[in-house]
Amino acid sequence: MRYHIKHVTEYQYSARVSHCYNLAHMIPRSSLRQQCLSSHVRMSPFAAHSARREDYFGNQAFHFEIQRPHKQLVITATSEVETGPQHSSVHLDFGLTCAEARELLQQSNQPETLLAREYLLDSPMIKASDQLREYAEHSFENDRPLLSAVMELTQRIYEEFTYSPLSTTVATPLTEVMATRKGVCQDFAHLQIGCLRSLGFPAKYVSGYLETLPPPGEEKLVGADATHAWVSVYSPSEGWFEFDPTNNCLASEQHIITAWGRDFYDVTPLKGVIYGGGENPILNVAVDVNRVPTNSV
Amino acid sequence: MHGSSDSAALCLPFRFNTGLPVTSSPSASNQDLLPLDLSYGQLPGSPDEAFDDQGALRPHWANFLQSVQALGPQAFIDRLNKARRILRDDGATYNIYSDLKNPTHTWALDLIPSLISSEEWGKIEAGLLERAELFNLLLRDLYGPRQLILKGVIPPEALFSHKGFLRACQGVQLPGKNELILHAVDLMRDQSGSMCVLTDRTQSPSGAGYALENRTVMSRVLPSLYRESHVHRLAGFFQQMRTTLTSLSPNHDQPRVVVLTPGAHNETYFEHAYFANYLGFHLVQSGDLMVRNGYVWMKSLDGLSRVDVILRRVDDWFCDPVELRSDSQLGVAQLLEVARAGRVAIANPLGSGVLENPVFMRYLPQISKQLLGRELRLKSVETHWCGLADDLAYVLDKLDQLVIKPIYRQAGSNSVYGGSLSKEQLSELKQRILANPTQFVAQPVLQAGNMPTFTGDKLEPRPSLLRSFAVASMNSYSVMPGGLTRVGRQQSSFIISNQHGSWSKDTWIINSEPAISAAPTDKEDSLTPARDADLISLPSRVVENLFWMGRYAERAEATMRILRTVFMTLNGEEPVTASCLQQLLTTVAHCTANEAQLPSLLKQPDQELLKVVRDDTYSGSVKATLNAMLYCADESKELLSSDTLRVINDIRDALDDLDTSLNSGLASAPEEALDPLVTALMALSGLAHESMVRDLGWRFMDIGRRLERALQLITLLRHLVVPVSASETDQATLLQNLLYTAEGLISYRRRYRARIGVQPALDLVMMDTTNPRSLLHQLESLKLHIDALPRATENRHELTPEQRAVLETTTRVQLSLVDQLSVRKGKQREALGSLLDTLSDSLKDVSNLISDRYFDHREISQQLVRSSWENEP
Repeated sequence: MRYHIKHVTEYQYSARVSHCYNLAHMIPRSSLRQQCLSSHVRMSPFAAHSARREDYFGNQAFHFEIQRPHKQLVITATSEVETGPQHSSVHLDFGLTCAEARELLQQSNQPETLLAREYLLDSPMIKASDQLREYAEHSFENDRPLLSAVMELTQRIYEEFTYSPLSTTVATPLTEVMATRKGVCQDFAHLQIGCLRSLGFPAKYVSGYLETLPPPGEEKLVGADATHAWVSVYSPSEGWFEFDPTNNCLASEQHIITAWGRDFYDVTPLKGVIYGGGENPILNVAVDVNRVPTNSV
Repeated sequence: MHGSSDSAALCLPFRFNTGLPVTSSPSASNQDLLPLDLSYGQLPGSPDEAFDDQGALRPHWANFLQSVQALGPQAFIDRLNKARRILRDDGATYNIYSDLKNPTHTWALDLIPSLISSEEWGKIEAGLLERAELFNLLLRDLYGPRQLILKGVIPPEALFSHKGFLRACQGVQLPGKNELILHAVDLMRDQSGSMCVLTDRTQSPSGAGYALENRTVMSRVLPSLYRESHVHRLAGFFQQMRTTLTSLSPNHDQPRVVVLTPGAHNETYFEHAYFANYLGFHLVQSGDLMVRNGYVWMKSLDGLSRVDVILRRVDDWFCDPVELRSDSQLGVAQLLEVARAGRVAIANPLGSGVLENPVFMRYLPQISKQLLGRELRLKSVETHWCGLADDLAYVLDKLDQLVIKPIYRQAGSNSVYGGSLSKEQLSELKQRILANPTQFVAQPVLQAGNMPTFTGDKLEPRPSLLRSFAVASMNSYSVMPGGLTRVGRQQSSFIISNQHGSWSKDTWIINSEPAISAAPTDKEDSLTPARDADLISLPSRVVENLFWMGRYAERAEATMRILRTVFMTLNGEEPVTASCLQQLLTTVAHCTANEAQLPSLLKQPDQELLKVVRDDTYSGSVKATLNAMLYCADESKELLSSDTLRVINDIRDALDDLDTSLNSGLASAPEEALDPLVTALMALSGLAHESMVRDLGWRFMDIGRRLERALQLITLLRHLVVPVSASETDQATLLQNLLYTAEGLISYRRRYRARIGVQPALDLVMMDTTNPRSLLHQLESLKLHIDALPRATENRHELTPEQRAVLETTTRVQLSLVDQLSVRKGKQREALGSLLDTLSDSLKDVSNLISDRYFDHREISQQLVRSSWENEP
């Protein structure tokens, strides 16, 4: 599927910002099932300097500095991306069992498996815990295929937790998510990753967009889409598989990847340091994901 | 929050930031210690550097100890005292703010150096070179292909679970073959007699500057012994360091190298300033630097100057709030991206802290085989990593015999010796390890070899540890011939705790057959390059500190002058009337800018005046003002001459003595207690006048001084002369106070020989430009300084606002008529009062205008996305 994506981030400050330095993860990366065909980032006010690079995780990192005084900062990232489905087909009921996966993880000297072990470890925002392990473990019987167990966990999070856009700020500790059973896509992704790592399975955080379709017969609203987050789990010798606990599904062609990392910290869409700016800046984010009809190419 | 703190080594946790009480330092000046015993014997059953396997003194030690004994006890003590004095004068201290009661933690140096024969050193040096080369390859691999993981040499968790592995630093590369520029190693001789590495320091290794200071002191206090021993010189190492750092510059035209320090509060700040001076680099703090248009710049008086190379003494994690620790105030926003783009070189590169992970010690033989093709010659301490099931089982079994060490060095994480713990503490430690096994290693307790050490009255065996230093050079490394030796204070306990501190020793590499050696003739300090004042522009922060140093010094002096005068009047022969006393105390309150305290000052003058002198928490007190002055001096230390630093030390000492000398209260001539301080401050201003280069730094210091003196004079006049006194006698007393405070009493008496009158007093104190303390003299000096400051080229002929303000002030005073000023109107001399108010306002404007134009006004920075938990690495 081919998409045109427009991601607008706007900060309104209560006081003048004299200059600022930022790091953005807003340009979609390429992956096995995705190719970024073109991308562009525009800043207002103009940046005095900007640079783009591939980061540790292979994501597109975009740095810029603005040296003009401003009270409003607008970043517009546009890109065109071609996506495909995950693997050729995913058979949840076949493949490695949980026990086999655990054993291979420790035994295998395959480079991909060795490197995947990084995603077993605690990361800045996700710490493995007994609570998370206990919550998830009964889906992961030893002789059950790993992917089917992960799908069940995905479904349980979907069913047992309430999607509540107002319930959390950018970063909610997992203990709080477990207590309130509420959250947004980031929290559910963090939660599922925490569960998987607590059980000994490598998992990473994937940030991106999800194409939404208007109800039949209605026009799609401008800016109606949003940034999204899901997880990717590693099964030794089989590869990485993406699951979306917010929507109770495997990630599909409609899941467009921006970046991945150990957790939100590694792929924060926009972070940085501003000089001045006063208190309580107002943040607005608008995303449009539009299908590009292939016959027009 | 901490900067680049350099904490404990494994078995001998000496640290630099430990407060060593001066009284127990080896250089105790107590003459009662005589007679001394300068003989030395081996402790049975433990290896000693001075003795060979057969228990015979090694020849180089025998020579040295003989020479020391030949000196005799009296001369030895004299040399100790001299050493102590030099260290103090050089300001060789650390962590002076941690302990306000005892701020003079002079670096403790033992006069008995560590002696190493050149043959033996040859082997150690080869081992250190090889180790530095290996760690360089290791650094490249960890932030590059990670072959060690892919080939199964180390488990992935050994790297990925270490908090010093900064993923953001992937892709940073320095020009040339070496990524690791500085490598320091802590070594000791183990029971088998071979050298063993305890730790590697790769973040921003400290100690080389202290080693140089030790050498400088030793060569001065034991000159002939030093010369005759044909000691290998250190200068070549620092020359190499300078060459290497300069060569890292992405620009080849006059590269600007800076030393980035966390600031004067850091425990090894002495070394940062010392290094910067010795190598001829600028000492900067985070606020002095900024990123603009993709480059790093230093904010200086004449604008921004580009920075090419940064020798960092800030830990990598704190260096960039955009990509690393986001709440860090010690870094420079976007620094990492500039380094990544190759537009600035940072040594050691950001991310190099990962090499300090002791888990690598566990795999070092395999790592070395993989990267170097052979095993290392120098062995490392045996290390068990709790991240491995077998190791963990071993560690838990032998917990009470091992030293447990967190794999990431940070504030609050210390090594613990299992044997020193109670049962409960052991089981608590066990739980901590089990909760996070990858985060701990364990190592055996090693007994370090002994070395002769002067312990106050005799030479005794003490366990020693050597920190060695290597710097990258063309295709390999250069090792400092010597290093920083530290010895424990106690013989019995091999864990020399932080509380006990340690002594340091110079390390002498000497040829066992001196005749053969061709000792280089250069002196250790011959390297210091001439500073080209034109090339180097000052960071504006330093200039601001000099300005405030001038102001605070003058303010303290003025406060002491008025206090001294008041004390003398209070204790004088003639009783003072209540109204006169009130006026004097009012003046004190205004001079210290602490009008709020006036009521209590009037109520209990004796008690309150003592506070004005010595209470650090009392706003405007002598002590508070001088502490502020000392802080500014520390911040601009690298620009102060060694004589100035000596006077600063005197001030610090005199300040400490204040408490004791004032203990008997105001009864016994309190003014005398202030005399040493006033004298020291006079010496400071004398030095500024006589031996400071007339550059911009000096100008700003003098501007601060003149401004403050003028403002203080105005305050004196405002409160001593403007109000009309109740009686002639009171008037005379107050005028006498004014003249005494303004140091004009003697000139006045010589000139007028009459009782003191308002007009002649005003003439002398305000208008007389031949009087260096008169108001007009200050204003004229100010005008000269301000006219000489750099300015933008446009509007070259138009006066700047601060020039206009000074001109206006000066002219006002010049146009005044003393007769008119002294006219009374009711209870006030109104004309004088209103003139003084105008002058005071304009001078405050001048101060603000200068500050706005020349000093750095950093805006407060904030994180765009705020979250607290990401700041744990």
